[in-house]
Amino acid sequence: MFEIVVCIKQVPMVAELPWDEKTGTLRREAAAGMMNPACKHAVEAALQFKESHGASITVMTMGPPAAKQVLHEAIAMGAGRGILICDPLLAGSDTYATSFVLARAIKKEIPGFGLVLCGAYTSDSETGQVGPQLAEELNVPAAAYAEHIDISGQTMRVRRLVDNFRETLEMEFPALVTVSMERYKPRYVSFAGLNRAFNGARIDVLSAADLAVTAADLEANGSRTRVRKVFIRKTMKENVRITGAAANAAAEFLDRYQRSISAVIGKSIETKK
Amino acid sequence: MQFNPCMKHNLIRASTRHFAETELAPIAAEIDHNRTFPREVIARMRGLNYFGLQVPEKYGGAALDSISAAIVVEELSRVCAAIGLCVTVHNGVAVYPFLQFADKRQKEKYLFRLASGEDVGAFSLTEANAGSDAGSVETTAVKNGGTYILNGTKIFVTNGGVCDIALIFALTSAPDAKLQSSVFIVESSFQGFLRGELEDLCGMRANPISSLFFEDCPVPEENLLGKPGDGMKIGLATLDNGRIGVAAQALGIAQGAMEAAVKYAKERQQFKKPIASQQTIQNYIADMATEITAARLLLYHACDLKDAGAPFGPEASMAKLYCSTVASKVTSLAVQIHGGYGYSKEYDVERYFRDAKVTEIYEGTSEIQRMVIARAILSRQIL
Amino acid sequence: MTKQKSIWVFGDYRNYYQNRVTLQLLSKAMDLARVIGAQVCAVVVGHDIEEWIMEYTAHGADRILSIDHPSLTSYSTEHYLALMQYLVTQRDPDIILVGATDFGREFAPRLAKRLGTGLSADCVGLDITPDGLLVQIAPSFGGNMLAEIVTEKHRPQMATVRPGTFREIPHNYERTAIVERLPLPPDLPVSRARVIEYERAVQREHAIENATVIACGGRGMGNKNNFKKLYELADLLGGDVGATRPVVYAGWAGHGALIGQAGKHIKPKLLFSFGISGAIQHTAGLGEANFIVAVNKNPQATMMKMADVAVTADASDFLNNLIRELKKRIHD
Repeated sequence: MFEIVVCIKQVPMVAELPWDEKTGTLRREAAAGMMNPACKHAVEAALQFKESHGASITVMTMGPPAAKQVLHEAIAMGAGRGILICDPLLAGSDTYATSFVLARAIKKEIPGFGLVLCGAYTSDSETGQVGPQLAEELNVPAAAYAEHIDISGQTMRVRRLVDNFRETLEMEFPALVTVSMERYKPRYVSFAGLNRAFNGARIDVLSAADLAVTAADLEANGSRTRVRKVFIRKTMKENVRITGAAANAAAEFLDRYQRSISAVIGKSIETKK
Repeated sequence: MQFNPCMKHNLIRASTRHFAETELAPIAAEIDHNRTFPREVIARMRGLNYFGLQVPEKYGGAALDSISAAIVVEELSRVCAAIGLCVTVHNGVAVYPFLQFADKRQKEKYLFRLASGEDVGAFSLTEANAGSDAGSVETTAVKNGGTYILNGTKIFVTNGGVCDIALIFALTSAPDAKLQSSVFIVESSFQGFLRGELEDLCGMRANPISSLFFEDCPVPEENLLGKPGDGMKIGLATLDNGRIGVAAQALGIAQGAMEAAVKYAKERQQFKKPIASQQTIQNYIADMATEITAARLLLYHACDLKDAGAPFGPEASMAKLYCSTVASKVTSLAVQIHGGYGYSKEYDVERYFRDAKVTEIYEGTSEIQRMVIARAILSRQIL
Repeated sequence: MTKQKSIWVFGDYRNYYQNRVTLQLLSKAMDLARVIGAQVCAVVVGHDIEEWIMEYTAHGADRILSIDHPSLTSYSTEHYLALMQYLVTQRDPDIILVGATDFGREFAPRLAKRLGTGLSADCVGLDITPDGLLVQIAPSFGGNMLAEIVTEKHRPQMATVRPGTFREIPHNYERTAIVERLPLPPDLPVSRARVIEYERAVQREHAIENATVIACGGRGMGNKNNFKKLYELADLLGGDVGATRPVVYAGWAGHGALIGQAGKHIKPKLLFSFGISGAIQHTAGLGEANFIVAVNKNPQATMMKMADVAVTADASDFLNNLIRELKKRIHD
């Protein structure tokens, strides 16, 4: 049975009207979280393969106990099994350490995996590094920002658009792909499905010890970088304000910025004064 | 403010919110303005069990507990109250009587269709002369062989413009006998079933609320729900349940309005600082948040009683009374906090303000709710 | 003999005319190199790369490490990883800078992992201490704060940098560099991700990500007809039209125009933002738009505060007047 592992992440639920709920309140378990949108697309891609080719899907996440919610959600969408890697030792891990731990878990729990899928980036940190670094840890061929994945036998073709170039890459399994949000729009889950996902959902919780990951391991495979200072971003913008009747405002705007606009658009709009 | 400690409830909330933000938020203002019922979005909701929230799985529903169902209505209403209304009325007062009072044949015939949303349900009791005085209905159902002939007019029927199945309260008393009413399952395809014009209302404008006219409408006797004379019993039980749904709706409206007000207060600067730094505004925000949280607790309490099989009528009335009062207050404050912009259709709060008001009126006015609660206490039904 | 310190810049050349990030990094590398007495070295791998070797020389490189081979015609992350690993092991650079293009954002973290070193992604600033510690300045906590990050023990120190962060030095024909033309290393592992199709995307298709000028409209435009006037502005300025999510769902624009978390990430030089409040799902896609002009009736909207120029006016009104004024002034 073709084994797919989808690595997903829980990120803060950003309301349409931004409202900061993460203020370190007591009820951390009740803090609103959601599955990172790109990860949801990765789950959807896995589900589509399962439907067309047959596969067994395991979703995996590293996080606090509340992160179980996204595993339930993925199972409700159709994944077979969830794994939560949870340990105080792992709190605050960066992508370096995260990819190390995820790789350990994959090698232990789904050693015969064919495909690992990740979201191309997360809405909260947007670095898109876990996928590529996980590929290095697992030592498998990889492609990021996949828009379309075709499987045929032991080979996979990945289509993607990167830096304005259309590429098709061919790889053998096992491999890793990060999924962009261009395609694989995630399915909504019915409430019956959500309900069912809570009854007898197969979710395993693994600690660092379960993965034979020690503090020394994290030291050796943990972050190579250190944050030495955090400061408020000074708006480097001048934030010039223009008010008044629209006609005058338009003229004033163009008068003030005609030189730079001309430079950008490659045509002169400068009025001879 | 995140309330539910239970992960399943969180997930249902996140899932509904995602749907509402993606599918309803972009169109909410427009459908309110144009009074259009968004059929495509409703179609998308069908396969997701929005129309069979608490229907058993064997009839195609999601068998959710009452708090989960309330959360769904709340999250829909937080974005688009008119569609929250459609869902809560369908589930709360159209489907619910089937679950409680229908016989096996009726369940098998109608529950699948209702739970799947293939058929939209409505419940009509109200008439021109029978609002709070529900006993004064004048619609008649006269038995003729194996059929009842319905005549009368029902007004302000939520989902009236699109419903496929309506539960109709009609008088079935024999001549010279004590007045009794009964409930009939009426399909929109029956002869003599006519819909009136859509009402032009202050709020809930995207919901197709209309009158229903029955002109010698023949209803087979197997479509009598319960027994002849069960009208009051079914009506009261259904309204108890419906009140939970309306409370959830009002709660969602209040939540949405508060979030908008808080966001605005943080951005809007007067006297060189955000208005959120003014004590008056802070007092408003504190009151809104506290009352919404209290309302939510009251609502979930009623839900818990219902799921435990305990009598929940007075508590449902309390929840409905309080949530709707809070919704009106919070939405009014939200408009006030927005100042002049709050009065403009450019911003959403004025719609929340308009939508909130009716929650104090339908499904039993606040005055009726007080009557219900007082009677319960005075007759020592509850402490 | 002390080893010559070197700062490497990876030559990401395939969109040379639209994407100047390598040149920008060379310029910054020159500044950093001056502080610690290092050499700026550009790494150029591929096939038929003479043009880029000359360009990088003219834009600040003291040394070019180049490998030219037919098998390297199309970018292949796996090949480039193997080559860089080989070069780094041989030459032991102090710092490697990579542009945060799509390629860079996939390539750099993998290289960092392979080399066992630290990497800061999407830096918006770089600094260096006299003893050669690279200070990497990157956004944190959703972009509202900045963090100073250092890689204390591991080498080389790596960073990816957003295009548009630094300014390239003007092309200088008189600059020279030591150009090393190296052969393909003998036992280069076969790439397991084979490139079987590789072509430049038709420009129009995803133009918006590369557009220099974007006119973006939100719900404050009022209606579809008003929104459509944005295309007129875009045409006048040789740019493209973007939209927020409510606009796309209202059917005023297609999904290809969606800018934001779930849509396109843009980096125009000039961005007009008409009738947009600035919800985080939208601003997440704005990247490092150089110059933002926001137009909104509400002077306190988030978008207005983020802009270089904020015009308090009805969006559609201002747009019509701007188009009219531009037409009067444009002369080719």
